Amino acid sequence: MLRATKIAEAAGVPGVAIISSGFMQQAHATARAMGIPDASIAEYPGMIPMDTDDQLADKIWNKVLPSIVSSLSTDMPSTITQAVEPAPRDTIFSGTLAEVQEYFLDKEWSDGLPIAPPTLELVDAFLAWTDRDAQEVLGVLPPEFREATVWSVAVNGVMAGCRPEYMPVLLAVVEAIADPDFRLVDAGSTPGWEYLILVSGNIVAALDFNTEAGNMKMGRQANASIGRFLRMFVRNVAGFRPGGTDKGSIGFTFNVALAENEAAIDKLGWAPVREDLGFKPADNMVMVQSVIALSMPIYNGGTDPETLAWPLVRFMEGTAGPYAFTALVFSRWHPLIVMSPSVAEAFAGHGWGKREIRKYLFDNCKIDARSMEHYQLHVAGKEVPLAELVLRGSAPALYAESNDPKRMLPMLLREEWTTIVIAGDPGRNQSRIYINNHDQGPSVSKRIGLPRDWHARVAALRRKPRA
Amino acid sequence: MHQDKGHYDVVWPLGRSTETAIALNARFADSKAKRIGFLWDYIFRGEQMFPLIQAGLAEKFPGSTFVPHTAFGNIHGHDEREVLADLPRRLREEKLDAVVVGVGA
Repeated sequence: MLRATKIAEAAGVPGVAIISSGFMQQAHATARAMGIPDASIAEYPGMIPMDTDDQLADKIWNKVLPSIVSSLSTDMPSTITQAVEPAPRDTIFSGTLAEVQEYFLDKEWSDGLPIAPPTLELVDAFLAWTDRDAQEVLGVLPPEFREATVWSVAVNGVMAGCRPEYMPVLLAVVEAIADPDFRLVDAGSTPGWEYLILVSGNIVAALDFNTEAGNMKMGRQANASIGRFLRMFVRNVAGFRPGGTDKGSIGFTFNVALAENEAAIDKLGWAPVREDLGFKPADNMVMVQSVIALSMPIYNGGTDPETLAWPLVRFMEGTAGPYAFTALVFSRWHPLIVMSPSVAEAFAGHGWGKREIRKYLFDNCKIDARSMEHYQLHVAGKEVPLAELVLRGSAPALYAESNDPKRMLPMLLREEWTTIVIAGDPGRNQSRIYINNHDQGPSVSKRIGLPRDWHARVAALRRKPRA
Repeated sequence: MHQDKGHYDVVWPLGRSTETAIALNARFADSKAKRIGFLWDYIFRGEQMFPLIQAGLAEKFPGSTFVPHTAFGNIHGHDEREVLADLPRRLREEKLDAVVVGVGA
């Protein structure tokens, strides 16, 4: 709403946005962040999806309309001020460890857990792991439209508890979310999506990521701190903070970074995700996508590939459910399957690879038309016929080929949009599915650039061998 | 950094703001006829709200004309980027005095 309102005002046309009560705080915070602090807003009292038609008409006529008329008829004094902000190397605070924690909590620059104090010495240690200029701008991130620089990556990397040598991964992660295709601008939407980072390449072993049992649990520094870094970076540099610009209704905590099990892939003879996405085998890659739901643990058993795949279909259907309608509205969604090596080996034993699994899912994941059309009543207050989405051009024609509400329709939009990652406990036949939030946070991948002396420096890192 | 004394000199974790704040345009100076457009994200019952709002604005500003949301496209759909990029041109083309934008919920 406010993006369009600002565009109108910038084009010389007065605008007023209709916002429901529960979103007023976010609207004002977003308006300030976007540089239109005095935006005209007409409040719709209450919650739109749950009002009767009469209640809606009464509120529009008696509350919203007078506010619109007033907003368009009254000049308000401007509240625009120009804040002076620190330079990168300025000391902004000096204190004990406890005082630093309190200061950062007070400023809302922390995720609520203790941070490592970002001192110049530590930030410089991170910068030593990249050949890029500290002030290079990787992107400008909404909603506060601040510059994401190599420097700010290092600062937040320190705070999140990363090691300096993670810097090449952190830079690629930020490049991914700064890509316009990622649509970071919608990261404060009500589904409350989180980020999932996938790391693929020999950097996984070099940085000691966990790719096996419990790989998505906290406990290994590379997985945990890089996952935490992204949440902290988005909070501090983009400006998404829960209760303000972040309107995730319930949400969940950040995901630790997922790393592909290169040894298991080699054994299978399958291509790693980076090659699926067009990168070279020798490349290191980061992929980032949104996550709004995680399936139950899926056990894949049986002695033929269709039986092995059956639980993936059922849990895909069950986890996404009628939310697939939203994917049709935005013409995009990217499910991701984490599959343990033993499941992949079983598929491979029957001659199936990732392509066959993806095709099976595409052909068999179905939902009835009625469930999808009805779902929009709960989201927005009114059912929407699939035919309307076809008319808008966001859904393929096949969704309107019949009026039978019981007809079964494909849930997945494209075979190649399902990512399969080999990771997890090699000793158990388990998979899990991560559902992304349609075109908000589709999978975006970036090559990880390494500093010139990377291999020698990584080799010199002393690490205790794991038991 | 004075870590040996248990003190830390810390730097700022944010980035330089690039956003230039804009002031609002002047509001209506009278109750004469206006040309008002509607922008919609195709969700949250805008199709029920806009006719009521249009009727009310027509009463308040007699002789006003209105441009429906369909003239601009979906401001939050699969082609949002294209719609928003083209919006300044479309608004000027329609010679609007104001727009009503819905619906944030």
